Amino acid sequence: MPQYGSGLFVSIAHLIRGLFGGTTVTADVVMTVINSLIIWALIALAALSLILLERKVAGWMQLRTGPNRLGPRGWFQTVADAMKLLGKEDIFPAAADKWVFGLAPMFVIGLSVMVMAVIPYGKGMVPVDLNVGIFYLLAVSALTTIPFFMAGWGSNNKFALLGGMRAVAQMISYEIPLVFSLLGVVMITQTFKMSAIVNAQSHVWFILLQPLGFVVYTIAATAETNRAPFDLVEGESELTAGAFTEYTGMRWALFFLGEYANLFIVSAVAATVFLGGWQGPFLPGWIWFAIKVLFMVFLFLWFRWTFPRLRVDQLMHFGWKVLLPLSVANILLTGVGIYIYQLIYPAIGG
Amino acid sequence: MIKTQELEINLGPQHPSTHGVFRMITKLDGETVTSVESKVGYLHRGMEKLAESRTYTQYIPYTDRLDYLASINNNLGYVQTVEKLMGVEVPERAEYLRIIFGELQRLASHMVAIGTGSLDLGGFTPFLYTFRDREKILDLFEMTIGGRMTMNMPRIGGIIEPPEEFWPALNKFLGEMPGSIEEYHGIITGNEIFQARTVGVGIISPELAEQIAVTGPNLRGSGIKWDLRKNAPYGIYDRFDFEVPVGVNGDCFDRYIVRVREMEESIKIIHQAVRDIPEGPTFAKVPKLIKPSVGEVYHRVENPRGELSFYIVSDGSTKPYRLRIRGGTFVNIQVLPYVAPGWKLADVIAILASLDIILPECDR
Amino acid sequence: MENSVLLKKVEELAQKLDGEVEVSIDTPVLKIKGNRIIEALSAAKAFAEVPCDFLHDLTGVDYPERNEFEVVYHLSSLKGAQMLRVKATIDRDNPVIDSAVRLWSGADFPEREAFDLLGIKFSGHPNLTRILLWDDFVGYPLRKDYVVDSYEERRRLRTLKPGE
Repeated sequence: MPQYGSGLFVSIAHLIRGLFGGTTVTADVVMTVINSLIIWALIALAALSLILLERKVAGWMQLRTGPNRLGPRGWFQTVADAMKLLGKEDIFPAAADKWVFGLAPMFVIGLSVMVMAVIPYGKGMVPVDLNVGIFYLLAVSALTTIPFFMAGWGSNNKFALLGGMRAVAQMISYEIPLVFSLLGVVMITQTFKMSAIVNAQSHVWFILLQPLGFVVYTIAATAETNRAPFDLVEGESELTAGAFTEYTGMRWALFFLGEYANLFIVSAVAATVFLGGWQGPFLPGWIWFAIKVLFMVFLFLWFRWTFPRLRVDQLMHFGWKVLLPLSVANILLTGVGIYIYQLIYPAIGG
Repeated sequence: MIKTQELEINLGPQHPSTHGVFRMITKLDGETVTSVESKVGYLHRGMEKLAESRTYTQYIPYTDRLDYLASINNNLGYVQTVEKLMGVEVPERAEYLRIIFGELQRLASHMVAIGTGSLDLGGFTPFLYTFRDREKILDLFEMTIGGRMTMNMPRIGGIIEPPEEFWPALNKFLGEMPGSIEEYHGIITGNEIFQARTVGVGIISPELAEQIAVTGPNLRGSGIKWDLRKNAPYGIYDRFDFEVPVGVNGDCFDRYIVRVREMEESIKIIHQAVRDIPEGPTFAKVPKLIKPSVGEVYHRVENPRGELSFYIVSDGSTKPYRLRIRGGTFVNIQVLPYVAPGWKLADVIAILASLDIILPECDR
Repeated sequence: MENSVLLKKVEELAQKLDGEVEVSIDTPVLKIKGNRIIEALSAAKAFAEVPCDFLHDLTGVDYPERNEFEVVYHLSSLKGAQMLRVKATIDRDNPVIDSAVRLWSGADFPEREAFDLLGIKFSGHPNLTRILLWDDFVGYPLRKDYVVDSYEERRRLRTLKPGE
């Protein structure tokens, strides 16, 4: 189906590239710098708007208005909050492990930037179109466990330590079903390349071929991003603020930023892998992508504001005894499905 | 050789889930709690000592500040004690008004209990649903007396007459309540995670409850059908037709569901009171200066958080010689070290939330 | 109804323990010496028909002119509306009484409170420490001879010193 205006950003990129001589090394360097700047801007923008969205959606679900004072309908509230956090004192607890404590929030945000480099935001709009895209994405996002544990360990605080322990247990347990749920799609498309996966969905979205995979992915992704009902790392009713108990000001804000960047990433991956990425009629591809991401984000917000929190052992049971078998079953079913498909259409199979 | 050490965690007095300034010294083996030591007293204001230097009337506002979520019930307990001591007969209309306000306050209090209980399990939204409905009750109070939390509404010998617009507003509220309770069931009771977190958690056996002298919904959650309003009626509770809901297992879920059912029963009681309320005065003829004769009295009432009782020793002067307050929370809270060990840290929070403690009443 | 049955039982018990019985408003009151308290409480707990097996409240009252403390137990039951008040008198200079914790584990906090505010010592209590007041508090506020700080003194304590 035709899309209008999809090529806008691609054309701009070509234009800039052309200014520096097309295929020269200078052009590559300039494009990389611009791309990374855009990703940083995107993270900031995504976090600011998602926080506002979260508060608005929460307000709507909870019979209240949400932020409504600053700017039109309170749209500038998060900007003001960010300003306030920037101005706050950066406190290092006396007993903290200074390096570990200080670096943890930067790692969170750094990893998010690394992951965002391989997401196809529109037709031809992949900053780095690796041929092992999904593999890279999973590998890097698996590292997110480490900064959380660094924060928990480095704070030298019992609440933080418990939060950090929970982060490790939870994120490792849910990494596995997350990976397995995406494997089905990889089996069908025979590629790790993100843009190829999107292209493969031009006729049918993988949510229809892989409904179980989508469900498992959504649940595991909620746990991966430490959002309710799996927000045990923060667990404010027992651990006050979990791994982030000792953080203040901008360092704390970086964790916050990282959380929303991760929310954006898992939504973007879901949109790319299961919902057809930038595919869609009439509207430009990047708008389709944004719509699908917002849909996924709304789903995650919906979870957060309706469910209570799971207990740590229930979380583990659910991950290992329910999600993992389901995701393995999904792989098996996909394999059988592909086999049958190949039997029926021998010419099409790979 | 690897040695593991227990982790000692200090929950409170400043902690999001200790409902005020309760402090638990918790020993953890991993995430499992091995022992809990409860510390109270951070909110001690010397209520009993203060009573000895206040006249009987002056003391009514102090009772507001015991269980501030059920201030009318506290006031009622106190003024009924003094009335019992002096042998005052309260007019019919005042008795009915006391029932209406007392039950409204019980509804408001249980709403807080359910809402914050859900909040402690990580569910933020139900909290605001219950507070929406509590707000309506507080509006009714505000309409009557101006205050919302500490109202000082009942007096020795009677109660304030509500304004005319109170009655249609009350009827409107009563009409909306069944729908609201349906919503609570939808968002809390039916929630799979809520059930997983509460069913079978923190079981208080009937024997333990009796040993500790647990009262109120916590006792009924353990399956013992004991409600002072039914079993030892005070005021005019014997005229009303209502059920005493009880739990089966004595777990957190039972304590929760008993509260929700009690709310339904309270609505029933208010309906009957509104139907039967007679016209007439709302104050008995009570001397300006309250001066009971020498004697002692013990009076217990069913408060939302357990039985509240006052023990007054009068020496014939205008001030009590000794005033003792037995609050439900102070006794109920003792159950925690028996119930909590063996559960996860998050469960202890859930158990504490299901006990529905309030510290000002505990510490006095 | 309960009261007449209960009253009879209490009178029998009083004879056994050289106590006195009176009725205050509608509650039977059993007055005994402090050293007989455990006997009285266990007997009341085991009353047939009208058991008083629920320790509703435990507190103390100071009577300096008689040089006595009264430890007041309010017993009720979950089986009926009966209510019994047991008053045990103990010497004010040596306020010791047997702890009821072995009969009701719920006596723990109320006994600690009576110790905290009145200075009554409960022998046999597993952890008799201050509960509402802080550990190094001096004095027992609910005793009638406790001197409350003057307004000026409290004001002085409330004022922050420079540097605080």
